[in-house]
Amino acid sequence: MAPVLRLDSVTKRYGQTVAVQDVSFTAEPGRLFGLLGPNGAGKTSTIRMVTYITTPDAGTITLGGAPVSPATQARMGYLPEERGLYRKLKVGEQLEYLAQLKGMALGDARAAIGRWLDRFDAATWTDKRTEELSKGMQQKVQFISTVVHDPDLVILDEPFSGLDPINADLLVEVIGEMREAGKTVLFASHRMESVEALCDDLCLMAGGRAVLQGPIREVKRRFGRDTVSVAFSGDGAWLDPLVDAGAVRTLSRAEGLATLRLADATPPRSVLEAALAGAAEVDRFEVHEPPLADIFRQAVAAADGTAPPVPSAAPTA
Amino acid sequence: MNKTLLIAKSEYLRRVRSKWFILATLLVPVLAIASLVLPILAFTGDDDGERLAVVDGTGRLAAPLAEALPAATSLETTRAPLDTLRARLLDGDLDGVLVLPADLVDGADAGAVFYTRGGIDPAGGVRRAVREAVRRVRAEAAGAPPAAVAAFNSDVPLDRVTVSADGDGGDDALGRFLLANFLSLLIYLAILIYGMLVMRGVIEEKANRIVEVIASSVRPFELMMGKVLGIGAVGLTQLVGWAVLMFGISLAAGPLLLALAPEVPAGAPAADVPFDPDLITGMLSPGLLAAFVAFFFGGYLLYSSLFAAVGSAVDQESDAQSLQAPIILPIMLPVLFLTVVADQPDSALSLGLSLFPLTSPILMVVRMAVTDVPLWQVVLSLALLAAAFVGVIALAARIYRVGILMYGKKATFADLWRWVRTA
Repeated sequence: MAPVLRLDSVTKRYGQTVAVQDVSFTAEPGRLFGLLGPNGAGKTSTIRMVTYITTPDAGTITLGGAPVSPATQARMGYLPEERGLYRKLKVGEQLEYLAQLKGMALGDARAAIGRWLDRFDAATWTDKRTEELSKGMQQKVQFISTVVHDPDLVILDEPFSGLDPINADLLVEVIGEMREAGKTVLFASHRMESVEALCDDLCLMAGGRAVLQGPIREVKRRFGRDTVSVAFSGDGAWLDPLVDAGAVRTLSRAEGLATLRLADATPPRSVLEAALAGAAEVDRFEVHEPPLADIFRQAVAAADGTAPPVPSAAPTA
Repeated sequence: MNKTLLIAKSEYLRRVRSKWFILATLLVPVLAIASLVLPILAFTGDDDGERLAVVDGTGRLAAPLAEALPAATSLETTRAPLDTLRARLLDGDLDGVLVLPADLVDGADAGAVFYTRGGIDPAGGVRRAVREAVRRVRAEAAGAPPAAVAAFNSDVPLDRVTVSADGDGGDDALGRFLLANFLSLLIYLAILIYGMLVMRGVIEEKANRIVEVIASSVRPFELMMGKVLGIGAVGLTQLVGWAVLMFGISLAAGPLLLALAPEVPAGAPAADVPFDPDLITGMLSPGLLAAFVAFFFGGYLLYSSLFAAVGSAVDQESDAQSLQAPIILPIMLPVLFLTVVADQPDSALSLGLSLFPLTSPILMVVRMAVTDVPLWQVVLSLALLAAAFVGVIALAARIYRVGILMYGKKATFADLWRWVRTA
């Protein structure tokens, strides 16, 4: 029932710059879709077209089969990366106004606002001026304004920035509930770890193009299990010959813990052997899929033409 | 509810409830009337008369001079040296020293000297009194009979009648000119103030970043029009509030003032009465008031949408200076032509300026205040104004919907033009 968001060969130019080039993806109801990419990759430009703030120069965007329009705007909630509220308005008025702009009747809006403020332990804020609130409190108010009209499609651009861990957990919980309720959630971020933990599907953008997409598990499988993590005692000098020989690439290295990406010809056991030979003790050794952050780096490099292309077809299991 | 109306309502309520609005609505009429009334009160209060000393070199002028000066003026005839009188003048013991040279009556080129501590005509009427006294003495010296001198000095009143389709009115030309000035200045200020308020509102939403949330709920055009209409309604509310308050205060204070200004002769021409609410209300016909409201609102819509476009193109108010100049100039232009149009309301220039949409909101009201403008001209002017604001709003909306999402780089006119074409 909740509609599918589909982008088909969408292109957006600003003057000479191509902000978004031939991007297609599909975000399904009941799933969390991660739109990833560094700053300037075209995420915000893409979201602005989805929210019908701007229109594409080419391609189509549909929500539940209907092209995006003022009517679809009412079924979306958008939390932009740059947060903003009317500073002088009271929290209650602010939320009522924003909900009414989404087409809610005043009475329904008041009831929904009351429920959400309760949920966020903010019931007493109704008559406070927005500028009196702390930054974290304003974030909550803004999140409520995004979801108060019960949208089918929720678009969250960097929703965790500026949130303390407790509120971040609360947000994760709410996002999870929305997924359960069959909403489509589009989640834009440049921070891979939060996406890796939350999303079902992802689309990686770089330089305005979608360089990698699919269900997150499948994307990771495409890259194979070519990463090892070693927990060890003693110093890590045993690693240096491997790195110098180009057999591995260091993803992270800290006191007693290293994550290494294997070169094509390097078998995992050669790392284990080196560790057993060089380290005082090996506490843990694991072969696994590469972290998303590194997949992302590889995909971006490939899109720039500075590295070999990433595997495009998923190996069938 | 229609989203434009919803936005307009929110903009309106937010501003009308503010302390700033309530204060300005209450204080401006009080200040305006005070600035009109206080000088009159000060003038009447300080009427214990000027103290003048005259050094009469002719020996014949002191008496006719005392006659010609206002009754309250005390005139002291003296032969004291000038430096003594100068010292008394500086001490404040005297308000003026008049030196009449011995040859003033006989020598045609001779002139008198008047010493004061400065100010604009500090002893009003001295010039007139000296002239009158010297002429009389010269005429008598030349052998003119007293009857001829009296005839020469007699006053002949000139009553002017302004002819209009509604009937002939008394001479209220000066009052009408003042009214034209007042109304046009009010429109000018209102367009400027409320236009700037629209611009500031747009910049604030943009700087707050709330605009992106709003733009994901409503069309930019609806947002712009909602803001323009809401703030326009604030302007109308304020103008009506001012009118009601001014009228109320005038009704209450008018009779009081007339009682306080007793030296205005009962039969004086109306325009000489400094403050007469009956006269003003007599000139403010319902037609003029309706036109005032219509032209204010039309002019406001035209200019405020341009202000909105400028606001959308900048990140902060201080960046708006150069972009708003081409909007403020045409608002100021009619003020330069005000006197010309009020003086010759039916000239081709006046007609043209009162039809041209950028100047008509102010100058048509000026013409209507001073003369009887044919209805077709008023209707044509309003129609042209309406056509212009439809065009200008379309233009402004194109700039606006691109501008509100642009941050960082300062926009130039070339940028704005590109937005208009590409949007």
